Amino acid sequence: MQFLYSGLTSGSIYGLVALGFNIIYNTTGIINFAQGEFVMIGGMLIYTLFSVMGLPFPIAFFGAVGCAFLVGIVFERVFIRLTRIKNELNLITVTIAASIIIRDVAMHVWGRDSLPVKEFIPVFNIKMPGGVISSQSVLVILVSLAVAFGLNLFLKKSRYGKAMRASFDDPVAAETCGISVSTIRVMSFAVASLLGAVAGVIIAPIMFVTYDDGIMTGLKGFSAAILGGLGNFGAAIAGGLMLGIFESFSASVIPSGLKDAVAFLVILLILFVKPDGLFGKKKVHRV
Amino acid sequence: MLEVKSLYVSYGGVQALTNVSVHVKKGEFVSLIGSNGAGKTTLLNSIMNIVSKQKGSALFDGKDVTKKTTSNIVADGMALVPEGRRVFANMSVHENLEMGGFKRPASEVKQKLAEVTEMFPVLGERASQMAGMLSGGEQQMLAIARALMTNPRILLMDEPSMGLAPLVIKEVYEKLKVLASTGLTILLVEQNASVALKYAQRGYVLENGRIIMQGKASELLGDNEVKRAYLGKEYKEKWER
Ligand SMILES: Nc1ncnc2c1ncn2[C@@H]1O[C@H](COP(=O)(O)OP(=O)(O)OP(=O)(O)O)[C@@H](O)[C@H]1O
Ligand SMILES: [Mg+2]
Repeated sequence: MQFLYSGLTSGSIYGLVALGFNIIYNTTGIINFAQGEFVMIGGMLIYTLFSVMGLPFPIAFFGAVGCAFLVGIVFERVFIRLTRIKNELNLITVTIAASIIIRDVAMHVWGRDSLPVKEFIPVFNIKMPGGVISSQSVLVILVSLAVAFGLNLFLKKSRYGKAMRASFDDPVAAETCGISVSTIRVMSFAVASLLGAVAGVIIAPIMFVTYDDGIMTGLKGFSAAILGGLGNFGAAIAGGLMLGIFESFSASVIPSGLKDAVAFLVILLILFVKPDGLFGKKKVHRV
Repeated sequence: MLEVKSLYVSYGGVQALTNVSVHVKKGEFVSLIGSNGAGKTTLLNSIMNIVSKQKGSALFDGKDVTKKTTSNIVADGMALVPEGRRVFANMSVHENLEMGGFKRPASEVKQKLAEVTEMFPVLGERASQMAGMLSGGEQQMLAIARALMTNPRILLMDEPSMGLAPLVIKEVYEKLKVLASTGLTILLVEQNASVALKYAQRGYVLENGRIIMQGKASELLGDNEVKRAYLGKEYKEKWER
């Protein structure tokens, strides 16, 4: 049971990162390889605002997440919009280049060392059936669930959320409704960056924050998205949780140094056996 | 109202439109007919800047729209009902209509919703159903209603009869007739020449990306060349009678 609890914690983070991948995949058809950097930026910003500047947590939280939202907008306006020929290969290459640039900038701003972030809430263990779970883990899980729920509400109920869904369905038809697909694309990067930053903030006190965290976080989130099936939000969360739990269980049977390899084994297995993901539908192409 | 002037469009070397000029006056119902691959969809898509032109222009109220984004052209008052309907399959009928009114003020959306559901009662009955579950005819009605939600002054229609049974085709065209009678300007492109010309005032014939004939719809319907090339089946029926 203990594995389950720690798996749910990291799984929630993977789920949020996978959601970010999905949003951008749905609006642009590409994998944004800088998604992990958005998570790192969230962690770094909360370090600066909360641990260094000592702002009250709520202010620091909204500050960090708000900045990340702007980073998402700038990211799209600079890297994606300026790419003249927006085919998948070019755009993916651009996101890889952008991720390296962000990482380098972060290294210059925050240095190479791993930075500790103060706890946001008192730390204590809660007794659960078959083990304990820390208050921090509970926070991570609850915030992730709340964010996923909020995203769902945004997409289902708000005017811009619905416009995003319309663009997922058919970008050309959305344009003929007066919906600017370019605006939707900016929004999707902003929202994906925000989701990443939330993940980065809430995990920060549990793990240290390092400038190159984004690589591994991004790849884990990507594995979760592939595991669930790209293009499906519910599946992203489920994929994240499953990957987290799977990783945590496997740590008990294989050397912990190999823990990171598990995610990539999962990718390979899925791509070999069920390429549309566990919950993915067969892709239907419109004619 | 709409004036397409010497439009050229090519897809990577394949010339799809050559020197196409078409005009539609305010309140007119104009049909452009042409067979498979003639360039009908290309014409409408290039007017809406969904595909980009090589040269030429499309003046809407005297202003060239071919450099604007599609969503801005829609905001100017030109709407397109695209080929194959392209409703948002994973959204409800109601949400599809809401999307049509995306750029319009809430009060207007409410009023327009009432108008289109009165015109297409089935959309009111199916409001909460996923659009992908509708029949082809219902989807066509939804696509038209969604375009009307943008409050257009001119409606471009791409092949509304595609894949529909004759009775349903008639139903769709009767709705267009009602819309035209309320003063909406319509430019329609069709393979189904007989029905398209029957409802229109004026017509054009597009062949291999060029306009080869134009005139009153009734005259085109009576033209021997048009009969031979585009009304073949019915023409034969007449002979057999
Ligand atoms: N995206 C594209 N890329 C390359 N060629 C295209 C593309 N779209 C259309 N074409 C070509 O341009 C020509 C005109 O096509 P278009 O779709 O405009 O014809 P259409 O009159 O609408 O035909 P249909 O009645 O089948 O809808 C055709 O030769 C077609 O093969
Ligand atoms: Mg066509």
